[in-house]
Amino acid sequence: MLSQQIVNGIMIGSVYALTAMGATLIYGILRILDIANAGAYAVGAYAGWYMYSVTENILLAFVFAMLFTGIIGVLVQKFIYFPIISKPNVIAIVPLITSVGLFTLTGDMLRLIFGPNVKNMNMTFKINAVEIGNVRISAEWIFIVLLTATLFFVLWFILNKTKLGLAWRATAADTEIAKTMGVNVHISMALSYVLGYGFAAAAGTMVGVLYNSIYPTMGDIPSYKMLAIIVLGGLGNPLGTVVAGIVIGLSETLVSAYFGSIMPRDVIAFVVLIIVLLVKPSGLVTRKNT
Amino acid sequence: MLEIKEVDISYGEMSVIKKVSLEVKEGELVTVIGANGAGKTTLIKAIMGIKDITSGEILLDGVDISKLPPWKRPELGIGYVPEGRRVFPNLTVDENLRMGAYKVKDKVKARASIEKVYGMFPVLKERSTQLANTMSGGEQQMLAIGRALVLEPRILLIDEISMGLMPILVNTSFKIIKELNDAGITVLIVEQNANKVLKIAHRGYVLETGTIAIEDTAKHLMENDTVRKAYLGG
Repeated sequence: MLSQQIVNGIMIGSVYALTAMGATLIYGILRILDIANAGAYAVGAYAGWYMYSVTENILLAFVFAMLFTGIIGVLVQKFIYFPIISKPNVIAIVPLITSVGLFTLTGDMLRLIFGPNVKNMNMTFKINAVEIGNVRISAEWIFIVLLTATLFFVLWFILNKTKLGLAWRATAADTEIAKTMGVNVHISMALSYVLGYGFAAAAGTMVGVLYNSIYPTMGDIPSYKMLAIIVLGGLGNPLGTVVAGIVIGLSETLVSAYFGSIMPRDVIAFVVLIIVLLVKPSGLVTRKNT
Repeated sequence: MLEIKEVDISYGEMSVIKKVSLEVKEGELVTVIGANGAGKTTLIKAIMGIKDITSGEILLDGVDISKLPPWKRPELGIGYVPEGRRVFPNLTVDENLRMGAYKVKDKVKARASIEKVYGMFPVLKERSTQLANTMSGGEQQMLAIGRALVLEPRILLIDEISMGLMPILVNTSFKIIKELNDAGITVLIVEQNANKVLKIAHRGYVLETGTIAIEDTAKHLMENDTVRKAYLGG
């Protein structure tokens, strides 16, 4: 029972981390709290659903969702956020409100285009569930865990093993000085958005597969849970985001399993956030090194 | 080599640099001295492109670079040692140096430049895998200088190298700059510590509330009464 709950918690936590990673990468470079990252989550789910209904190919559905949403991310960054933050004396609340507006807009656009009703993913997996001892992992979860691990590995590799990633980390640490070293910060920004929105899209599609349903407002709960995770992870810290996502996933699963419904499941993330911030105001992982 | 012509810079409504012109010839070590808030850092930032100018020209080898984005400037051979060192705190020493060599396309060449810097500052080699923020102020200063040198710059812009360093390290830093200049690198250094910098510089400018008040050889500046009273402590 306990081992099953722990496995469940880690699995859902890694999907949370994937959802929040975009917001982390974006905050790291642009210092914008991008709520619309949760819009990318919903848009990605619809893109994945569309591609699957056309091709019935799961992998293609994910790739399409990530690419399509990632490209939208770059466009949003280039034509909406960048012009706003480039204005002199812009206070941080302006891009934040912009992102809330964008997020609301995405939800409504999805409703206008696809209708308000729940759509079913109906993805079928050819692999079987796995049982190790008394821990059972379903086929969907095996796929999701493998995909999440792959995406995190790709992210780790880009950030730590490539010149582009080095430039990203330098820009996150000191944008002004990175520029004087020759880093075109537009490229670092675009990288944040293409990876960030792409990851959110993958997470949205995964959750769509897990619950076999997608709907226009599916990004609402992730939008605020994502905030709890990135703050808990120490704002702008990719490694911290993974840790925080898993901590939240585990807390939710264990509290629901052992204490029943003493509080709504979605509140737990914030209870954990408040407790951690009271004890350690800088978040779980302080060293800003991935 | 570097020529600043009638440059104006402002923060919002407030004008901080007014019609400043100065020149650094190839091989020279030129300093801009002045009190805190005179606009020295702003001037250096404008040359690096991280502060916009409102009018005037910044010429490198006769070509105006003031419209170029900052990331196009290092490849012209401009190295930059910022005020307060500004090493990337959560990057390792080696990664910091690799950032300095960001614009060196040839990997082998970049590595050779980094090894050359390690040769100059052996302590950086010893600490190559350490995060920059775990090093002492003096070591970070060496890293900041080393990071500017891996680009093998023709001209080095140095902002307040003495700031926040122990006196013995200040002397070492100035000695290093003198050696770099002797090795053929043109240097423009802005500095509050007029005493020390005038001893190594060829020429100097005195910047007072955004305008050049005096311009002369370093030797004459040290003998100038006004300069002595205001910047050399009598």
